[in-house]
Amino acid sequence: MDSRFIEELAHAAGPGALLQDPADLLTYESDALVHLHVIPGAVVLPASAEAVQAVVRLCYRDRVPFVARGHGTGLSGGALPVENGVVIGLSRLNRILDVDIPNLRVTVEPGVTNLEITRHVAPFGCYYAPDPSSQIVCSIGGNIAENSGGAHCLKYGFTVHHVLGVEAVLPDGDLVRLGGPVLDTPGLDLVAALVGSEGTLAIVTKATLRLLRRPEAVLTLLCGFRSIDEAGEAVSAIIGCGIVPAAVEMMDRLTIDAAEAAVHPNFPPANAVLIVELDGPKSEVDELFTIVESVCHERGATSVEAARDPAQRDRIWKGRKAAFAAMGRVSPNYYVQDGVVPRTKLPEVLRRIRELEARSGLRIGNVFHAGDGNLHPLICYDEAVPGQAEHAEQVASEILTYCVEAGGAITGEHGVGADKKAAMPRMFSADDLDTMQLLRCAFDPTGICNPGKVFPTPRLCGEVPGPYRQHPLERAGIAERF
Amino acid sequence: MAESSLQGLAQLSTSRWGAAAARAGGPGDAIDGCAPLLILEPPDVPTLADMLAWANKERLVVVPRGGSTKIAWGTTPSSVDIVLSTACLVSPIDHCAGDLTATVPAGATLAAVNQTLARERQWLALDPPFADRATIGGIVATNDSGPRRHRYGTPRDLIIGVEMALAGGRVSKAGGKVVKNVAGYDLARLLCGSFGSLAIITHATFKLAPAPPASTTVLVSAPQAGTLAELALVVAAAPLTPSAIEIEAPGARLLIRFETTEAAADRQAAATCALCAGRGVDAQILKAEAETTAWRDYERRLSPPQAAVARLAVLPTQVGDVLEHVTRVAGKRHVNCVIGGRVALGVLVIAVTGPSAEAVATTIDELRRNAWARGGSVVVRSAPADVKALVEVWGDVGDGWPVMQSVKMRFDPNRILNPGRGPGGL
Repeated sequence: MDSRFIEELAHAAGPGALLQDPADLLTYESDALVHLHVIPGAVVLPASAEAVQAVVRLCYRDRVPFVARGHGTGLSGGALPVENGVVIGLSRLNRILDVDIPNLRVTVEPGVTNLEITRHVAPFGCYYAPDPSSQIVCSIGGNIAENSGGAHCLKYGFTVHHVLGVEAVLPDGDLVRLGGPVLDTPGLDLVAALVGSEGTLAIVTKATLRLLRRPEAVLTLLCGFRSIDEAGEAVSAIIGCGIVPAAVEMMDRLTIDAAEAAVHPNFPPANAVLIVELDGPKSEVDELFTIVESVCHERGATSVEAARDPAQRDRIWKGRKAAFAAMGRVSPNYYVQDGVVPRTKLPEVLRRIRELEARSGLRIGNVFHAGDGNLHPLICYDEAVPGQAEHAEQVASEILTYCVEAGGAITGEHGVGADKKAAMPRMFSADDLDTMQLLRCAFDPTGICNPGKVFPTPRLCGEVPGPYRQHPLERAGIAERF
Repeated sequence: MAESSLQGLAQLSTSRWGAAAARAGGPGDAIDGCAPLLILEPPDVPTLADMLAWANKERLVVVPRGGSTKIAWGTTPSSVDIVLSTACLVSPIDHCAGDLTATVPAGATLAAVNQTLARERQWLALDPPFADRATIGGIVATNDSGPRRHRYGTPRDLIIGVEMALAGGRVSKAGGKVVKNVAGYDLARLLCGSFGSLAIITHATFKLAPAPPASTTVLVSAPQAGTLAELALVVAAAPLTPSAIEIEAPGARLLIRFETTEAAADRQAAATCALCAGRGVDAQILKAEAETTAWRDYERRLSPPQAAVARLAVLPTQVGDVLEHVTRVAGKRHVNCVIGGRVALGVLVIAVTGPSAEAVATTIDELRRNAWARGGSVVVRSAPADVKALVEVWGDVGDGWPVMQSVKMRFDPNRILNPGRGPGGL
């Protein structure tokens, strides 16, 4: 980066907002997907939307790629820097700007953490529904970029169902407001397009979110089963009864053991546990509880425990939410995969994963959002053993193939990012990807907004399908293919 | 285009796709008085794509048509060459009951879809008007919904995947068949409410809901609509799970529906009546036939013949003031305004009839200015042609307009898909 650009960048970002020291830059070389890392040209930490806008305008003028970053908890390398590019960290935009309880709206800056919103509105009996496992630390800006879900999205939906409007800086530096606190803003639903676009279309600088009122009653069941298959059948039977629980989570023996070792949730001695949460008016919850309890018994549950108070519930959820980190207790390293299958295909796909486990010689733990078929296989390996890390990666990749073959998706909540862009053609045809590029090009014709993410080998905007021709930007040395 | 060359196109399309798939347009096909030259009715998606590619090459304006229940929504077209009907894209309905999802073709009516899903006691939780004629494609393209939006949302909230045909004839898909999926751009939601301006929807995949075993409605009456708007917010904030809260004025009433197990519906209805009694408001519980009739009559009253129908959106807490404003403006302009809608969401439907097109149009303008001042909006849905000529259909679409135009330009560079009619006049 030339010194003139750096000087202008420092001015645009505001006082003390530019990081250039190599040790500082190292902090931003990756997000939570640590095996991919790139040292950026510069990092800025603007404290206002105007400063974000000034930085983006500058990048646009000089065609310098930029990457927005929230709190760096992403698991797919969505915030992986671009070499010689600028990382725009949004952690200083961390104010809750407006709370409107009667209308159940809250307006926040992107650096506010997910859980902070719920804490802020809890005294009014309200909460923010999407609850990714990282909610203590992850930012709303990142949640919007990834369309984050969480354990309760089975009933309450994803981030896209809870974002009503945003203020965003477009890749050319224009600041726009899309949607808003009032529903049904006329026009194309660009808010829906931005949510889940993994920072490739714009940088959100403000968001108006929908709040929910706390349900009158919450009841969490912890059920032990002799096998994952039996637990899976119980899930199908519950949904077959016309019940959509707030959450349905499942863990297998390996992840139960890991969780027990780490946080002692006192799970039953079973080969699979099922966590079913019901919420709503008390009378309705009580009625549904009776049905769910009897279904679980009918399907061979070895134990059914109902947690009615917050302390009991917290213990169960602590065991579930600690599952990833707890794997460190049973394996020196592990690879977290994120794939989705139609729920009815769970037994078939789990069987294939077990066969793969036997074949590969690597242990695979399974913890998943059973209600919506979102699998998180945890592939255990030891990086001290030469080649094992690569082997684990191959195993993880094969599991994705099973998901796609079962009619599912290559990611349910962690995003495509840099990690899975090469897997996109397994799920989408070249035509599908070309059509998605139309949206990309409408927002970011110069390709500077988080380039190199989501798409395998994107054509540059304006380029037509066909034999290779050098794009003017390539000729000018501004852009390259990857 | 000269008449002779138009006839030539008609002959060409008939010889290419057969008389069953191509015919000349008649007066009955006119949109806001604008008659199309050709009606194309492809038997399958590849033919639809082929027709689009041809229209694109010939630069012919294409208006997609489902069941015609919303064909007059949007800006009056300046010209229409082709109406492309999805009437033949009706099967199969791919219901994955165990996964609570279904993939349905664009031309299937909502009623037909829900009839199929009902076999497994599930449903696509949308209830826009005219379910027996309204097609999935049209409902998604207009993002239309009904009273149960209160609980289930709009098509945008339920869609999980889409297959579409682009202007150039390319068929592509986005999203998938699983509820949880963040791979790639969410084009399915972008198409919701796009009014056929970006692509023609050929299939859509939705997440479904279990069909509720029982339904009960509480009918609340009060002299003042404002009292009911306030009460609706109290009910919405109570530990109850209504599937719909609709307001109706004049003759101010609330219809509050509970759809769950029979016991839970009864308890919630009783709790609602107690809330009303506490505020000195009359409430009665309707079940079975009486309930069905009440909802049918409500829907009928909301669509008087020859009315200009607009959707007004404000914050839920502003609805009371807005209702008062509508009444005042109606009195001043000597027009009749029938109001209904999702009161606790702040989304109202207003049907305006009056002595002249001018009176109706100026009323809509005045309501729009009022809503706009509150950060809300008014969009005209259907209206007689003479009213549409005097009032803007969309109003201001805000700062997103340049990006919307850019999206349109990328998806439909020759502007053949419903040009000028979509959101903001895209």
